[in-house]
Amino acid sequence: MAMVVFRKDWREVSRNWEVMLPMVVIPVIFSVLLPIVLGVIPNIVNAPGSSNDLENLIRNLPSSVRDELVGMTPQQAMFYVMSLYLLAPFFLIIPLMASSVLASDSFAGEKERKTIEALLVTPISDSELLLGKIFVSFIPSMVLTIVSFAIYSTVIDVLSLTMMNGRLLLPNLVWLMLIFGTAPAVALSSIGLTVMISARVKGFREAQQISVFLLIPILALIFGQISGAIFFGPLTVAALTGIFVVIDLLVFYTGLRMFDREEILSRLA
Amino acid sequence: MVSAIETERLTKRFGSLTAVDHLSFEVGEAEVFGLLGPNGAGKTTTIRMLACLLSPSEGSARVGGYDIVKDSLRVREIVGILTENPSLYERLSALENMDFFAEAYGISNTQEKMNRIRELLEFFELWERRNDKVATFSKGMKQKLAITRALVHRPPILFLDEPTSGLDPESAKGIRDLIERLSHQEKCTVILCTHRLEDAEKLCSRLMIIRRGRSVIVGTPDELRDRIAGQPVLEVVLKEVNRSIIDAVKKLEQVGAVRFDEAKSSLMITLNDAESATPEVVKGIVGVDGKVLSVNVVRPSLEDVYLKLMKEGEEN
Repeated sequence: MAMVVFRKDWREVSRNWEVMLPMVVIPVIFSVLLPIVLGVIPNIVNAPGSSNDLENLIRNLPSSVRDELVGMTPQQAMFYVMSLYLLAPFFLIIPLMASSVLASDSFAGEKERKTIEALLVTPISDSELLLGKIFVSFIPSMVLTIVSFAIYSTVIDVLSLTMMNGRLLLPNLVWLMLIFGTAPAVALSSIGLTVMISARVKGFREAQQISVFLLIPILALIFGQISGAIFFGPLTVAALTGIFVVIDLLVFYTGLRMFDREEILSRLA
Repeated sequence: MVSAIETERLTKRFGSLTAVDHLSFEVGEAEVFGLLGPNGAGKTTTIRMLACLLSPSEGSARVGGYDIVKDSLRVREIVGILTENPSLYERLSALENMDFFAEAYGISNTQEKMNRIRELLEFFELWERRNDKVATFSKGMKQKLAITRALVHRPPILFLDEPTSGLDPESAKGIRDLIERLSHQEKCTVILCTHRLEDAEKLCSRLMIIRRGRSVIVGTPDELRDRIAGQPVLEVVLKEVNRSIIDAVKKLEQVGAVRFDEAKSSLMITLNDAESATPEVVKGIVGVDGKVLSVNVVRPSLEDVYLKLMKEGEEN
């Protein structure tokens, strides 16, 4: 039944350009524009002051990564560090941003369009309904994330062929763990919470405004990586995945406990 | 009477507002039961509780033998509901809407599902427009599609909230005929919420009038008329009315009150039993040379009953 809800919702949203456009634009920025900028930055690495910045950045990296940089030119080191490490947490944002509109719309949109009553009166169970609404945000956003990763890997490898003397950088183990483990786990937590918010507010805009706060933990990871406080190595990625899987289970359990058809119906727009 | 629906002191409060107040009633299998009342009387809230969309604050109800609180999933499987709004997905086509709801109600066999959808869409003359987005439909077409949705899983119990609202007279008659057919041929139990007293009078075997969440009266349309608006009145239109005719009628044993309507040149005669007394009244008038043009038994309409009850409620 969850897939029945998914198919219905997907048919609806796929015909709505207001939803589809931001979903596609964000991954394009992350997977195409950022790597291209990466290809340009190493060329300005010799600009005044930039070598000091690079040294600071490299000094903050774990010794294992510093060892990987031995023998590389400053440009190659910059390209290597940025493409493999600094941009990694950005890929946790893609499923969040891509799913934000869909998850916010899940119940709040049905309330706004006055279709919620007919949906809630069907014999679809609470868990199936909740799962269906989560799937319609999760599946497309993960497809977009994986496609973005494939494009990003291709662009990085094309650049690295010339910059790194024919060496291909992606995919590697950490990125595969990140894209197929951490990203889905993080996305599920965020989507689950947003769907819960969507069920308890009157309209889509309200749900989306509140759900923006869910980006804060991921932004903290990005700044942590840039500042050197966190490093996205295999252990960190595995630990993050584990933590978010536990959060996912808690979110779904709480969502199910809090799911109340009457409460949803009482907040009609 | 085998009960399809039973409520016992069913109550719903929203904060300090009591929308439904200790409502107790039974609806028999294959019965069309009407819920009448002004806006805000509690009709929709009652239906929402019976369809397990709202939980009662107090009291209980069983629908198709299932408790609405403990077996809500089973109740939702056996009821079809037409809500106040059509509640249709406007970006989807009629066929896609029906496909979703058929599957949501557990019709997984593709052939069975398509046959049922086609049967209903053809009945409501929507088959030709099946691939059009619902957003392009007229209000009446949306209403028809919403009824189609309520019927897709052949529910033995139907809750219809203003089913003929927004429909042209021909379509409204089609819906009334369908409700009669569902009740008589398919033994479907129907609770009908309506403002159209004409619909209620034609369709409902029993009616309940509710006001401020409370039941005011329950009975068949005839019982309601007899209890509220009194006995039927015999209207005798004459070529000319004179004193001797009025006196002759007043002397008759079964006659109660006699009122003279000068404008229509008629006598309005209250009788204990219109059927047996009418020939005696006509004979008495003809006996004093009265020239009778027509004789009618005038029953108070359901509208008269309803308006009288509502007026009494306001005065209290």
